[in-house]
Amino acid sequence: MGSLNAALEPVSARWRNRFPGSRAQLTLLLLAAFTWSFFSIESPGGIIHTGGVDALTEIAGAFVTPDLTPGYLGMVIGDAWTTLSFAVAGMTVAVLLGVPMGVLASGVLQSGRFRRLGVMAGARGVLAVLRAVHEIVWAILFVAAFGLSPAAGVLAIGIPYAGIIGRILAERLQDAPPEPLASLRASGASAFEVLAYGRIPASAADVISYAFYRFECAVRAAAVLSFVGLGGLGLRISTALDDLAFERMWTPVFALVVLVVGIDLWSSQIRRRLLR
Amino acid sequence: MISLIRHRPFMFSTVLLLFVLVIGSWARVLGQGGTGPGLFTVEAWQRAGDFVADLAGSGESGSPAFASWDAWREALRLASDTLAMSVLAAGLAAIGALLTVAFAASNLVGRGSVLGSALVGFTRGVYVLTRSVPELVWALIVVFVFSPGILAGAIALAIHNFGVLGRLGAEIVEDIDPAPVDALRTSGAGRVQLLLYGVLPQVLPQFVTFLLYRWEVIIRTSVVVGLVAASGLGYQLNLDLAFFRYTDVALLLIVYVLLVWFADILSIGLRKLAR
Repeated sequence: MGSLNAALEPVSARWRNRFPGSRAQLTLLLLAAFTWSFFSIESPGGIIHTGGVDALTEIAGAFVTPDLTPGYLGMVIGDAWTTLSFAVAGMTVAVLLGVPMGVLASGVLQSGRFRRLGVMAGARGVLAVLRAVHEIVWAILFVAAFGLSPAAGVLAIGIPYAGIIGRILAERLQDAPPEPLASLRASGASAFEVLAYGRIPASAADVISYAFYRFECAVRAAAVLSFVGLGGLGLRISTALDDLAFERMWTPVFALVVLVVGIDLWSSQIRRRLLR
Repeated sequence: MISLIRHRPFMFSTVLLLFVLVIGSWARVLGQGGTGPGLFTVEAWQRAGDFVADLAGSGESGSPAFASWDAWREALRLASDTLAMSVLAAGLAAIGALLTVAFAASNLVGRGSVLGSALVGFTRGVYVLTRSVPELVWALIVVFVFSPGILAGAIALAIHNFGVLGRLGAEIVEDIDPAPVDALRTSGAGRVQLLLYGVLPQVLPQFVTFLLYRWEVIIRTSVVVGLVAASGLGYQLNLDLAFFRYTDVALLLIVYVLLVWFADILSIGLRKLAR
């Protein structure tokens, strides 16, 4: 239970109880920001389209009557596989790139103060740059640079997600409880052995949960990337919308829901077993 | 490690399934042709090099956009639109999640009654549906109803993040300490009072922390949603790419990364206040 919470918890736990009594200020700040954002809304032609309400009723009506004819369903299942395969390929790049970078960024393998800080700062900087740019922006840039190719889609997912997975891994490795590590060191374990037998087992459940959560995000990203011309669920959705065929829009949307729920269930099963 | 051995069949099939997925996916991805040159060809990297040189202003006769004060002012104005869109989206998503989260927590409504479990199931179903669909797809749907602009983009972002925050919120609510709630109940508090004085104070700090964390994600995505909702940095980025105004693209990317870093730092500072 609470798998995602638990995976994200260390991000927030660092700040707990450091600044008590400042919540009123925060509330005021957030309310002020929200009010400011309302004044930025400009709507010269009215907030809702003429015919917008009709469109909404049509879209909602089509929700209960999605196009499930065998021919269309078959195409949507094919699209779902395309989207899933781009997500999986992107995640392999993210893990292969993010895990070594994350270990470097945690600084647990380096001895010597200056060397350690140098490696940590370097790796963290690279990870921060990788994840600063959204995957779709990466995709647009890759397509502009390399032309339309499947590799552009895979890298567009893999690069920013490597940045995020690396950061989470680095934080979890650093936050491993110190007592088991100290006893490993006392029995003569090298820095690498402390990592392999102490830090990695202690952080595995959270990092795997987080990687699976990112896998779920990668499926959504892959669906959107299909607009860039790679095929998949997103392209099917936008084609249906172009034709105003809302019945055919909901089918690939439901396929996306099935993929996301499937990954979610799989992830929580793994986490339950890792924690017991 | 012990737990891995005890659950060997499940873990074995998980690893096997992952292996099959990776092999199958790469076969599928590499089997798909593209119009561009392959990634590992000299031509592809030359193109990429040319693109980077164009971003730096090599292909243009005039002075590059990022050397012009006016261009910076315009880009910062667009950044402020993107910022407003993200704040509006985070606020709307938070309000939606806070209003519904009580119905998704089985320790508040689901206990024992069929109607309660049905309500929990329904609310969670709505969360899953809204969360499964990416923001950009919601944007495509939302512009059928709302005029393109900051509000349409914010609504698209808010629908997706409503599902994310609702799910997180439900998990937080289910993990609360029941003692204060029980104490209020035995002293005669009504349902609304239980929520306001028993549940909310326990839940809010963690919820706000996640909201701020989510806001960092939202601001990155605002740019992308701006492509469809026709506002902010994203819209202009697409236009400039389409018209090969590469130094303008470079300027917008610089402003985008600065905005993201500004948001990250601000969010860390605000998260300190939340605790």
